[in-house]
Amino acid sequence: MKKIIALVLASVMILSLVACGGKDNKKEEGKAKDVLAVCLASEPDTIDPALNSAVDGATMLAHLFQGLAKWTQDDKGNLVVVADAAEELVEGVENADGTVTYTYKLRDGLKWSDGKAVTAKDYEFAWKRAASTALGADYGYMFEVVDGYADDALNVTATDDKTLVVTLSNAVSYWNELLAFPTYFPVREDVVKDEGWATEAETYVCNGPYKIASWKHNSVITLEKNADYVDADSVTMKTLKFYLSDDANNMLTNFKNGDWLLIDDVPTNEIATLKKDYADEFVVAGQIGTYYVSWNINEEVLPEGSTLTGAEKLAAESEIRNAISLIFDRNYIVEKIAQGGQVPASSFVAMGMTNPDGSEFYKKNPISDDYFGYYNVASEAIEANYNSAIDTLKKYYTYDEASKKFTNIPSMTYLYNTNEAHQAIGEYLQSAMAGIGITVELQNQEWNTFLNTRKEGNYNIARNGWVADYKDPICFLDMWVTVSGNNDVQYGKGAHAAIKAYDLDLTKLGYDVKVEDGTWAETYDVLISKIKSCTDAEKRYEMMHIAEDMLMSTGCITPLYFYTDLYMIDDSVEGFFSNPLGYKYFMNCTIK
Amino acid sequence: MNTKTLFYILKRLLLAIVTVWVVITVTFFVTRAVPGGPFMSEKALTAEAQAALEAKYGLDKPVGEQYVTYLKDIVTEFDFGPSLKQRGRTVTEVIMDGMGVSIKLGLIAAFSALAIGIVLGSIAALRRNKFIDKVIMVITTAFVSMPSFIMGSLLLVIFAIKLAILPANGEADGGLFLPVVTLALYPMAYITRLTRSSMLDVLGQDYIRTAKAKGVSGLKIIFGHALKNSLIPVITYFGPMLAYIVTGSLVVEKIFAVPGIGRAFVNSITGRDYPLIMGTTIVLAVLIVIMNLVSDILYKVVDPRITLE
Repeated sequence: MKKIIALVLASVMILSLVACGGKDNKKEEGKAKDVLAVCLASEPDTIDPALNSAVDGATMLAHLFQGLAKWTQDDKGNLVVVADAAEELVEGVENADGTVTYTYKLRDGLKWSDGKAVTAKDYEFAWKRAASTALGADYGYMFEVVDGYADDALNVTATDDKTLVVTLSNAVSYWNELLAFPTYFPVREDVVKDEGWATEAETYVCNGPYKIASWKHNSVITLEKNADYVDADSVTMKTLKFYLSDDANNMLTNFKNGDWLLIDDVPTNEIATLKKDYADEFVVAGQIGTYYVSWNINEEVLPEGSTLTGAEKLAAESEIRNAISLIFDRNYIVEKIAQGGQVPASSFVAMGMTNPDGSEFYKKNPISDDYFGYYNVASEAIEANYNSAIDTLKKYYTYDEASKKFTNIPSMTYLYNTNEAHQAIGEYLQSAMAGIGITVELQNQEWNTFLNTRKEGNYNIARNGWVADYKDPICFLDMWVTVSGNNDVQYGKGAHAAIKAYDLDLTKLGYDVKVEDGTWAETYDVLISKIKSCTDAEKRYEMMHIAEDMLMSTGCITPLYFYTDLYMIDDSVEGFFSNPLGYKYFMNCTIK
Repeated sequence: MNTKTLFYILKRLLLAIVTVWVVITVTFFVTRAVPGGPFMSEKALTAEAQAALEAKYGLDKPVGEQYVTYLKDIVTEFDFGPSLKQRGRTVTEVIMDGMGVSIKLGLIAAFSALAIGIVLGSIAALRRNKFIDKVIMVITTAFVSMPSFIMGSLLLVIFAIKLAILPANGEADGGLFLPVVTLALYPMAYITRLTRSSMLDVLGQDYIRTAKAKGVSGLKIIFGHALKNSLIPVITYFGPMLAYIVTGSLVVEKIFAVPGIGRAFVNSITGRDYPLIMGTTIVLAVLIVIMNLVSDILYKVVDPRITLE
């Protein structure tokens, strides 16, 4: 017996001698410098460029494929979109009917990873496939700007092996960015004929800086440098390992012990500690997205017995919703709850979207000289906001001066998808609203059910969020047209469809559009279609600001904060960059 | 094996098939009744694209018809269909990947739990109320009452971060060690306690006293008479436990990033990947039914007094 105890004690002592300290200890052992192990998320649903709609998938695709254009860093470290497979990013030629034609020449020496030559035909095929209704890709609408998209007959042709001609319905400022977008990457017809081509390393044929060396499902995808890649000399990292995990705690453990050098998620409750303990390795990057609360426009907010109807009712409700939006302390939400360096939001179109002159879109100020956006979100303004909200609400509800609460605001339900962070924000909103006498019930639903409920409009108030797919404010605005699948507010649907309360006057911009007291479909939907066909950048942006003003005036969108992208990167990694959409680039990395 | 036993096994097999069929039917209709759908995402598909996908996978047909087609496909062709979320992969491929890992993990964990548990339990019983018995009991009580996510996290902190001698992700070399230990500790502790109490019970039986009186040696009493009989409760426990370990290692899979079937199962449900939900449910149901049958048959082998009917 004593022997056993002695043995156990001895082995424990030996263990503790052998092992001391995690990460630094591992570094000293001299890890391989040509293998970069990272973890972005769990196994991607797909890494077929046409089908992918996830950020982690897009990052992998950016390493596996070569589009006509790509994101890169210039000498000063600024992010730019440059020609990749195309010889140059040409200017478009405007046709008589307002459409714009681009003619691209492919570079010499482009090869697929199986050795065959890449031709313009491959791009034509890939684009038509990705845009087709039959494929049903999440991002099929990325080709909306291309002529013929609506008729499922994309106007793109390979006139020979090296020349690709594409015609857009009208000039768009973000066209070059689209060319660098994964949905625009080429695939080869004979490869994708096999529906399972993008699920195994053996059948995966690509044309980018890397190819897939092995793929253990739900575990790790290993990328090896592609020697046939036309710019292979510029690729410094030989092997990339994308570990597949969706557990933030597990990611952090692997980061801490030095196995993974970049992790794209961190546990929310660890953020404060990590910021302190890993000051150089904890990164808060900008992301173009807005976390907001959406209100179902057809839900009652007026007190029982209110006699208002139609446009008057709508005006009152808009004023009420906007007033309630003022009582939230957005600084408290980002500093105490979200904690990830998010920025308090005062507009729906997110920070990072810019006007043609490069200034922030949200800083064009429609209301006041003192602040940007639609609310003053500075902490000093909290009290003034609160008082103004109370004054507005007094017009419609009974206020009890003794308790400083309203007594007849209908109770509401706040819906969110099951998640600690969303719950914490919901609880804050609940307490803030309880402070002025509004009873809010919190209701959580599992993700898929939640999406369904929100989309169907079976809710009162709901947590919502939107992240840009490309850098143009229109992707925050066209989602609110009546027929959009993302119109969670239910604009122009149900009872709201018949309410004539909106004005739209575009005559000053040279359009024959002047509507007074129109429905949502007669105004907002028209405005968006004008924006989409407008080729004059100034006018286009002017109209996009009008669209956002219209949205915000309804009070149905209560922005809380602008998203950030949090990740951790080991300080031994150099040459890493990411783009505003959150895609991460490792090809130029080295490990010290 | 007599005809009675054979008949019993046949009866049980038939019952198993009925059970699995009920599971299939209930799961099929429940998953379709749950709100949401496989093509639901934060950024909504256009109505045309959604319709095209539904037509492609036959989801546009009436649910009854889908059910009949599904049953026909699995019975006649053993075809579980394509995954709706992991486009391009079949359900069979996804399940094979996950089951491979989970079964390996589960078997190692189950058999080490069994081996260690029986030995420790016997030692504790034979040294009843001695120091070693108390140590074993304290430790096993701790393991039985500690949930696996705490045990897993604890092991992770000690061995993967502080000592940094074992990897934290299941894929690395030696990566299965910690998940196996985490999975095995609870059943090991449970088996230890089962063996101990059952062995104590057996040691007090008349036939042991008879054997002792007749002068049979201590070792022979233990291995020849006591152990075999004291394993009956362990066997009852072992079958379902094995099924549970293989199917229920979700928490452990998550903590250690092990690519097992549990994770695939949960993801299939959140993603409404109907064919994958069906496939994993069927596989797990079959596994549990078989394990129960096997442990019932083992009873008979260990204890001839038990009649199967």
